[in-house]
Amino acid sequence: MAIAQATPRGYLERPRPSGLADVIDVILDKGLVIDAYIRVSLIGIEILTIDARIVIASVDTYLRFAEAVGRLDLREDESQGLPELMESVTSGGSKSKTQGALEGVKETLFGGDEEEEEEEEKEKAPSRSRSRSRSRSSSSGSSSSGSSSKRSSSSRSRSRKGSS
Amino acid sequence: MSEGSVYVYGVLKAQAAKSVSSSGVASAPVRDVQHDGLAALVSTVEGGALAAAREVRAHWKVLEETSASATVLPVRFGTVLESEDAVRSTLLEPNAERLSSLLDELDGRVQLTVKGGYDEELLLRAVMREAPAIAAMNDDLRRLPQDAGYYGRIRLGEAVAAEVDRRREQDTGLALDRLAPLAAGSRSEALSAADAAFNLAFLVERDRIDGFSKAVAELAREFGERVTIRYVGPLPPYSFAEMELTGPGAKWD
Repeated sequence: MAIAQATPRGYLERPRPSGLADVIDVILDKGLVIDAYIRVSLIGIEILTIDARIVIASVDTYLRFAEAVGRLDLREDESQGLPELMESVTSGGSKSKTQGALEGVKETLFGGDEEEEEEEEKEKAPSRSRSRSRSRSSSSGSSSSGSSSKRSSSSRSRSRKGSS
Repeated sequence: MSEGSVYVYGVLKAQAAKSVSSSGVASAPVRDVQHDGLAALVSTVEGGALAAAREVRAHWKVLEETSASATVLPVRFGTVLESEDAVRSTLLEPNAERLSSLLDELDGRVQLTVKGGYDEELLLRAVMREAPAIAAMNDDLRRLPQDAGYYGRIRLGEAVAAEVDRRREQDTGLALDRLAPLAAGSRSEALSAADAAFNLAFLVERDRIDGFSKAVAELAREFGERVTIRYVGPLPPYSFAEMELTGPGAKWD
């Protein structure tokens, strides 16, 4: 489908197979709902749902930056590429606290699977800045609250998945 | 096999159920639980917590695979029932009629999602051009120092937002006009981004996808560069399977 995207005139001639980013809202908000009395409540699902939304929001932001940067003429200053821009944009204030989690969740949601990589060119931006922000988040993670322990567990499960 | 809690992905007709090769949440194999012509796709979950975000992905993959060849009613992400028996006695049996009739209604149909997004700059320029009062507010504000214009800026932003909403309504209406006649159903879904114009879900017969796609391409030409369209599918009918299911004991409620 990367080909379909590359030809702007023809790309709507058939629907694009969904990437997770396209369908996350319907997965989280739509479909059959089973009465809470029958359902077993699982700790984690609700937090997970929120996490997934944050990731989508951040991917959306990355996309805008990527597009905006794409419109700029970067020849004048080649050292200031996209990864550096992303870094400076996301490292301020509260954003840096959540970033470790975002990167971790994002990788599990979007990364590690060829199918989307080929179809979602938008993921290039986050993946390039990934390694640096991850190491930063692991050093700051221990001082924060309960939700950050959940985050680190999600990145643990990711690395386990990668090694298997 | 029926020991322990099970994660539920979706419900389909038993005769359409095939083995699923995608692995489910917590990497568990997916199987089906049948009752009276209906089948629920489930997998065993151990322990209490599903804390890894890749479960969203697993949920999605299982439904994608299944819906390629069958009509499946997706269950909302994160649904876990006590046991395989509970899937029969609390999900399939008491809701059999409603589930079967919804499956009949959706049979052979898929969801196609059409999202429109504005180019922010083009949108704001158009607002300024076509709403002189807003342009005048903007000019006045530019003459004031930053601090003095605070409330003025809020009023300006408010006016712009109202104008953008009005345009959204118009553009949503146009998209529905062009596409809804080719679909068996349509829903306007919540917008997830500030520059979104519309988010429409259509229920389309599998063998009418081509005609629908032509209309989408036509609509995109009509919008020009003002609105960019993202056209995604075919999907399981998420937006058309909204139904609250109750257990056997809840009927008097």
